[in-house]
Amino acid sequence: MNRLCVVLTVMALAVLIVAPVPASAGQLPLSTTTELVEGSYKWDGKTVSFKGEVLQDLMVRKDGTWMNLSDGNNTAMGVFVPKDVAMPVISRTEDYRTVGDVVLITGVFHRVCVQHEGETDIHAVSVTVLTPGSTKANPIHLDRVVWFVVLAGLLGLVMWLYYRKPGRGTEH
Amino acid sequence: MIRRVWREDFRIIGYYTGLVTIGVGLLMLVPMVTSLVFREWASALDFAISAALTLLVGYVLVLISRTKSTPGLTHAMVIAAGSWLVAMVLSGVPYMLSGHSESFLDACFDTMSGYTTTGIFLLQDLDHISQGLNMWRHLLTYVGGQGIVVLALTFLIGSTGGAFKIMVGEGKEEKLEPNVRHIAVLIWRISLIYLGVGTVVLGVIAIANGIKPYLAFFHGAYIFMSAWSTGGFAPYSQNMLYYHSSVMEIASMVFFILGSFNFALHYAVWTGNRKEILRNVEIVSFTITVLTTFSLVCLALMQRGVYPNAVALFRRGFFQLVSGHTTTGQSNIYARTFVREWGPLGMLATTIAMAIGASAASTGGGFKGLRMGIIVRGIATDIRKLLSPERAVVTGHYHHIRDNVLSDSVVKGAAVIVVLYVLIYVVGAIVGMAYGYPMADALFESVSASSNTGLSCGITQASMPTLMKIMYMLEMWMGRLEFLSVFTLFGFIATSVRSMRLRKAAA
Repeated sequence: MNRLCVVLTVMALAVLIVAPVPASAGQLPLSTTTELVEGSYKWDGKTVSFKGEVLQDLMVRKDGTWMNLSDGNNTAMGVFVPKDVAMPVISRTEDYRTVGDVVLITGVFHRVCVQHEGETDIHAVSVTVLTPGSTKANPIHLDRVVWFVVLAGLLGLVMWLYYRKPGRGTEH
Repeated sequence: MIRRVWREDFRIIGYYTGLVTIGVGLLMLVPMVTSLVFREWASALDFAISAALTLLVGYVLVLISRTKSTPGLTHAMVIAAGSWLVAMVLSGVPYMLSGHSESFLDACFDTMSGYTTTGIFLLQDLDHISQGLNMWRHLLTYVGGQGIVVLALTFLIGSTGGAFKIMVGEGKEEKLEPNVRHIAVLIWRISLIYLGVGTVVLGVIAIANGIKPYLAFFHGAYIFMSAWSTGGFAPYSQNMLYYHSSVMEIASMVFFILGSFNFALHYAVWTGNRKEILRNVEIVSFTITVLTTFSLVCLALMQRGVYPNAVALFRRGFFQLVSGHTTTGQSNIYARTFVREWGPLGMLATTIAMAIGASAASTGGGFKGLRMGIIVRGIATDIRKLLSPERAVVTGHYHHIRDNVLSDSVVKGAAVIVVLYVLIYVVGAIVGMAYGYPMADALFESVSASSNTGLSCGITQASMPTLMKIMYMLEMWMGRLEFLSVFTLFGFIATSVRSMRLRKAAA
């Protein structure tokens, strides 16, 4: 009986050690703006994880910093990073020619934040830069240059036709 | 008897539509320069192509339609409604070239929303568009608020008698001065002075809030243009939530309330008649309806315990309500919050506020406060008549710039327009319900589109059915032009077809 107990214990330990554990286990599942707003009552006051690109402006206020994170679904969430939370260096923020840093924040979601007069926000408890920002290519397409030249040429011709006999214009 | 349509009619309409189109083409140079300043070369090229195409269309129209005739009332109405369609299509080209619109219909939806100062949008990845495209979006709404025909009148068309008729067709029926060009210049002078003041005020607030200084005044200009024209656009997808600033919201609210007032009232105040603010029927109507609908919003939000304190309730509830009532559509809550948290009563109160809307001859939409005031006073006068001795002569009055007699025809005219608005509100809601949206949501979105407000409860998305996109575009267009010119355009097309058939039969 004792031997059986020992074997079962060893097997149980082996299963615990060997069994595949999901990479995200122990971490909070990532939330999107839509999920948080749609389930605002469910998530209110809970700790959530949110990943997003830092939009243009980091707004430093006396009690912390506001940043807006785009989750890539044409929506974004306001994240307040209080002064006592370590803020990593954000190398780039979103711009037409720049992809902003992608950060992962963990924080408390507020359906209506008391501190911020009813705003729907996340108060960060940790901020990590996942991917540094980069420069975005917005190449000029040659076919568009050709289109412009053709249209400009036609416009010049029509304007010449219109203005060559100004006497025929309308009476105002 | 409806008259036949002749070639000269087409010439007049083509010529003036061409002039308005040239105005739109010239306007595209502003975002092009903005893109050049920010070294957004690809975006600048998109605007150069769009400007060249728009100017080409405009010049072809004026070249082939050259005429010395001045427009009559029918022409004026057709020019006003038709110009908006041509401008919508051509203004959609930069959207399409930017790659941020999923289809050309979506691009046209956004330009119609911009010109009509509505503010709902289908643009994708809004947070990554160029400064040039952001300038274009806000410029559309600013120019649309004053009226694109007013713009053309100011710079391209002289002071013809027909010009005022075109302005009336565009919903600017206040004859502030005898000369129509002077009226157009006056509207632009008032708007440009406010633009300067608003950009500086909002820009300084933006800097104080931590916006990068070199961008702060662009934010200021965008938010001002959106507020003053009661448009509702903002440079980022979060709208006013992006700024996390009550001061920014209050400043914007002041500008959109001012923008929702009648140009005649602005003119009266500018020319020293300050008492008009207290006496004007539209201001009285606006005050009463804001207080009533805000009371309903408070009741709804308190019943559901949405906000933890009065400050939060006032900041979110009052801003949203006034934004809806002035048909602005700027928002400091997420779109789905209406459905998830405000509930049916909160949404209904906001829907009523949007339906009533702003002042006549302003940048706003909806029934308009003037019509509400006239109808309410008309009902009160009728009740007084019933209670008075039969021989007594009872006449109603309302104060709008001056004391006006409330005739039956005035009340009837106001009532007809209100009925037409209700009709498109309901038709839009039925289309939404037919696609499976709940009644409260469908009515909210339909009223928002027709009254050119732009608040959304989440229905307006690029993935929504095509018919709903077309329906909302029609609602925005009709709501902005107040029906008459749109109906005249439809009538003109029908008459043209009939005239062609008659000519063929005669031949």
